Amino acid sequence: MTSETSRRRPRSRARRRVGAALRLLAALTIAGGIYTVFAPGLSAQETPELSQAAKDGKAIYETSCISCHGNNAQGVEGRGPSLIGVGSAAVEFQVGTGRMPMARQEAQAERKPVKFTDEQIRQLAQYIQEIGGGPQLPPGENLGDGGDVARGGELYRLNCSSCHAFSANGGALSSGKFAPSLARPTERQIYAAMLTGPQNMPVFGDNQLTPQEKRDIIAYIRYMTTDPDPGGWGLARYGPVSEMVVIFLVGMVALVFTTLWIAGKS
Amino acid sequence: MSTEKNGHGPSHVDPDDPNATRFDLVREGAHRDGVEIVYYAPRFPRPGTRAERRIERFISLLFVLAGLSALAFVVIYIAWPWEYRPGTHASKLYTPLLGLTLGTSLACVGIGIVTWVKKLLPEEVAVEKRHVGESPSDERKMTAASMLYAVDETGVARRPLLKGALALGIAPIGVAVAAPIVGGLIRDPHKDNQLFRTGFDPANNGGKPVRLVREDYSPVRPEDISAGGQITVFPGIPEGVSNKYADSPTLLIHLRPADAAVAREKLNPLNEGSMYENFVAYSKICTHLGCPASLYEQQTNRLLCPCHQSQFLITDNAKPIFGPAARALPMLPIGVDDEGYFIAKSDYKVAIGPSFWERP
Repeated sequence: MTSETSRRRPRSRARRRVGAALRLLAALTIAGGIYTVFAPGLSAQETPELSQAAKDGKAIYETSCISCHGNNAQGVEGRGPSLIGVGSAAVEFQVGTGRMPMARQEAQAERKPVKFTDEQIRQLAQYIQEIGGGPQLPPGENLGDGGDVARGGELYRLNCSSCHAFSANGGALSSGKFAPSLARPTERQIYAAMLTGPQNMPVFGDNQLTPQEKRDIIAYIRYMTTDPDPGGWGLARYGPVSEMVVIFLVGMVALVFTTLWIAGKS
Repeated sequence: MSTEKNGHGPSHVDPDDPNATRFDLVREGAHRDGVEIVYYAPRFPRPGTRAERRIERFISLLFVLAGLSALAFVVIYIAWPWEYRPGTHASKLYTPLLGLTLGTSLACVGIGIVTWVKKLLPEEVAVEKRHVGESPSDERKMTAASMLYAVDETGVARRPLLKGALALGIAPIGVAVAAPIVGGLIRDPHKDNQLFRTGFDPANNGGKPVRLVREDYSPVRPEDISAGGQITVFPGIPEGVSNKYADSPTLLIHLRPADAAVAREKLNPLNEGSMYENFVAYSKICTHLGCPASLYEQQTNRLLCPCHQSQFLITDNAKPIFGPAARALPMLPIGVDDEGYFIAKSDYKVAIGPSFWERP
């Protein structure tokens, strides 16, 4: 390139050098300016400015979570995973269902009585959200409202039923793990579970199941877990096999002994 | 039949005797059947006592209750709302109420009849002698002889032409009867090499690679699935999400970067080049008995089959690590087309699903 320009219009060496330096300076300034405009989070990350709620959350974090998740939520090898990027949705699920703080390391963290108030959970979620970002839940309590039960049923059978069973009663996984029943979690917690994939549950991000599809699924789960069984006692909805077993073990045995009793009284 | 012949001793009464009472005839009938009524006395020697009337009232009450329950059953059957409606609704009680009313009715009838028999009918002791089960030996001999003689009469043994005609000429009628029933069960399993092909064979798409689609035929892009997520995909061809391609459902998994590194390192020569970035796609059909193995544990990277608890390790070519399955799940070679959607670069390299005889 240099040889090309010099062939067209010869210049003095000093002028060329000054010009090159000026052009370099201008290019650097523009690039730097653009970077500053389009990456405003950079400076924010260097000096994190936590909101009041997040500061309160940090205080809770430092008494209850820090031993397993580390002092910067970066995780501790062999104890707890990093919380960077899990979002407030994960906190709301894990702490809101009592799974966290964990009592001990075992096959899977199970649902327990919740240790914190709703306000504390919100603060903790705010803290995790502000330091690491990640998925957040939409506002509102009844996230299944406005969901299409029929469409939710299709999506449930395709995506959820293999582990949580057709009846939403849950089922066994490997080595002592299990998919829990869906009757107890709130609708926000179900939404959070889909969004974040707690423990061994796969993640169903918003590109895979859109927010509307998640609402459809929640509407279906709500319907499944609250609708009374038509025709009497559902026997945990295990299906016709369990009903047959009950009829044989209870009904037939009762009939046999009644017959024996009648014959014995003759 | 004379009394001497049936061997039950002398009869009590001659049935033709005009003075014989009905009970005499009953006792004589029982006697001829080998049953002796040795004791017979009414429950209430003096009719109309208070105890007897009380039992009568009890039985009547049961019968009336049975009738009322049966009526209630009919009314409920006709008038109760029976069509299913979600939520708490009277229709949820339809079946239990039918069972309750009919059950009550039948139970009342049963208890009434049993009470009637046990409390009101006369007391009776009857003795039945045991008898030998088999027929007398001369009768057995004669019956066997007459059956065999019928065969002798046809002369089949000395008429070989008829014997052959019977076997070869008549037998096809049996085949004709069986053909429509058995024929429907016979299909050629090798038609179009179907045991070795799935819907992802580019031949199904005019030679072009087949896209991976969701259950609503919408194509899938890599950014649609979060790390640690999985999605069931089907071949993006006409009827690809139908039972026609029931062997094609595939589990597309987005592994976390660290797990993907392990998976990539362990890929065996057959599966080499089948991953796309951190994505792997394995057949959803269990290699044990063909159940959909889709219980994916995103932390342990195990894929479980719900039917017989086979477990496959996704980060090691989906090889079986627990349970009855003996072979790894086949891996679908995946890539991305010009528009950024997932495609199957080729069909599965081995036959999917359970073992069969001709499987190499």
